[in-house]
Amino acid sequence: MIEYILMITAVFGAVLALIQRDLLKAAILTGIPGASLAFLYQYLLAPDVALTQAIVGSAILPVFFALAVYKTRRAED
Amino acid sequence: MVVDTQLASFFTAGALIVIGIFAALFLDNLIKKVIGLAFIGDGVNLFIITIGYKPGGIVYIFLPDMTVSWFAQNASYPLPFALVLTSIVIGASTLAVMLGLIIILHKKHGTISASKILGE
Repeated sequence: MIEYILMITAVFGAVLALIQRDLLKAAILTGIPGASLAFLYQYLLAPDVALTQAIVGSAILPVFFALAVYKTRRAED
Repeated sequence: MVVDTQLASFFTAGALIVIGIFAALFLDNLIKKVIGLAFIGDGVNLFIITIGYKPGGIVYIFLPDMTVSWFAQNASYPLPFALVLTSIVIGASTLAVMLGLIIILHKKHGTISASKILGE
């Protein structure tokens, strides 16, 4: 049952990150599909991929986006 | 459940790829476009992981009290997992290069809107 919740969370987190007007909120909300996919990989019998995705998808990529937003504009025009 | 786990996971991968292609084509902001490309990469990785998944199987670790034929019937297929592990890291580094190019475009043009940079 929990895997269906994780799939729905991944898709809705992706939509939610793309409809934000504030780019810093969009960068932080990018971590929601990454974390959901990490738990989903653990359920799909791939624990090594889940470890890598948990670090890269939910910590490193939002920090990259936040640094790019800090170097450019925060508001979407 | 009507839909089993593997089919639902394929639908999730397809939904992530469609959302990413929509964002990369139709949104105007360059950082939103790069977020869409990251979602395409996540969807493709989930698709390849789902191919190697075996319903009701075990993780591909061979313990000493297993026989080889039982392990071959019950373990999930480990080759896509080993390659997706590389794909995740390469996706993160190419995405960092894209964000660096966006910072250079912002220094040159003063905006990160694609239509303003292209002069439309």
